[in-house]
Amino acid sequence: MRKAIAPIVAVIVVGAGLATFFALRKLPEPVTSTYFLMDTVLTIKTTGGDAAAINEHLHALASNVDSMTSYYNPESETVRVNGAAGKGPVSVSPEYAALLKTAVAVETIDHGRTFDIAISPVSSLWGFMTKDFRVPAAKEISDTLAYSHSDQLVLSDTTVQLRDSQARIDLGGVAKGYSLDVMEEYLKTVKPQPRQVIVDFGGNLLLYSGGRKRDWKIGIRDPRGQGIIGYVRSGDAFVATSGDYERYFERDGKRYCHIIDPSTGYPGTLNQSVTVITDIQPMHGAIGDALGKVFFCSTAETQRLLFQAAQGQGTVGIVIVDAAGTRSTLGPITFVPAAAQ
Amino acid sequence: MKRSDRITAVVILTAVVLVVVSWIVMHRTRGTVAFVYVDGKVVATVDLTLREPQTLPITGMLGPLVVAADGKGSIRVVESTCPDQICVHTVPARSPGDQIICVPNRMVIIIEGKGTNIDALTQ
Repeated sequence: MRKAIAPIVAVIVVGAGLATFFALRKLPEPVTSTYFLMDTVLTIKTTGGDAAAINEHLHALASNVDSMTSYYNPESETVRVNGAAGKGPVSVSPEYAALLKTAVAVETIDHGRTFDIAISPVSSLWGFMTKDFRVPAAKEISDTLAYSHSDQLVLSDTTVQLRDSQARIDLGGVAKGYSLDVMEEYLKTVKPQPRQVIVDFGGNLLLYSGGRKRDWKIGIRDPRGQGIIGYVRSGDAFVATSGDYERYFERDGKRYCHIIDPSTGYPGTLNQSVTVITDIQPMHGAIGDALGKVFFCSTAETQRLLFQAAQGQGTVGIVIVDAAGTRSTLGPITFVPAAAQ
Repeated sequence: MKRSDRITAVVILTAVVLVVVSWIVMHRTRGTVAFVYVDGKVVATVDLTLREPQTLPITGMLGPLVVAADGKGSIRVVESTCPDQICVHTVPARSPGDQIICVPNRMVIIIEGKGTNIDALTQ
């Protein structure tokens, strides 16, 4: 009798000891920091490593990107380029030139029909730069569209030129995603490595665990209601959502969102939200950010046609909510819809 | 009952108690908590599991705001001095990951807790 019980008792005791050890072992508490940048919130949640210092450094990196790309900061490279429009080439940093090239490379997958960094004069007409919103006359839009295209842009490795004196570029469509690229480059080099870092930059995400975590659950906001429409399961990734619900105004019961369709000069109306998930490779944060606008301004048919090209630029998958509220996905991703309310 | 049997019983009982205690510790939830940040600092924490409505005056970078928890798990901004009133029109926050943002006041409300199974929210 006693002999039979002894091993069982031993197993129970060892098991209980292990369970107690793992439960009471002090897990590092995440450190959450919030910052205001690029007219939005940057939230960083770091677990493990020198978390508070990591958060501060990541914020400083994002601030650098803002200083370089800002449409408003008189010291930024964007303001220098725009200020010299129609006058001649402006010398820019190699980093800035590389970012412009990346943005233009995304434009070319759809010949600039759905994303264009030179559309900003049209955005200004609608009041999205100053928040004095108005619906411009059709003639104003077509006149402005004539010079609001990236064919105004002459790029070299060290210089940028805008041909027309009225042309303007705005990197607001890639700056948040690019900030995540810069942050990820830094995180790879940090010692000791944090266990995990979640960066939320105005709804664009960087999920970092040094490749250890394979089961991130990325919630996707319901573009019309409260809560989420579901979640995507993913490894480390960049996530960018373009939606018509973040910045918009309404006139006569019609919604005008801040994402201007470069082919028409009017706010995109084909979709409510598009979420692009890209893998962790250099510039894929910026590319995902830009691709969000490409797919936001595309019909379902164009989305299917463009997806292969988007995969070539690092896209893992896309979650789409179209204008009617219908949800669909592109690519080999696991989308788990939220339980019906 | 032999003495050794009694010892065995005590050992097993102790082990069971240990497992139960550690399970409780491991699954102890803090509930759902709203953290109100102004300019990067936590200025208020609100336990959203409390059944009583609460009203909190907050000093933003631009001016005063009023934040209210309804006692049913939601929190929202009811008054703000900001020009666009985006924070006031944001849907009430209730689930971990939800945010309410007021850029002019540099205020953000973040919900944290273990009531959700998502790691991050994209929007």
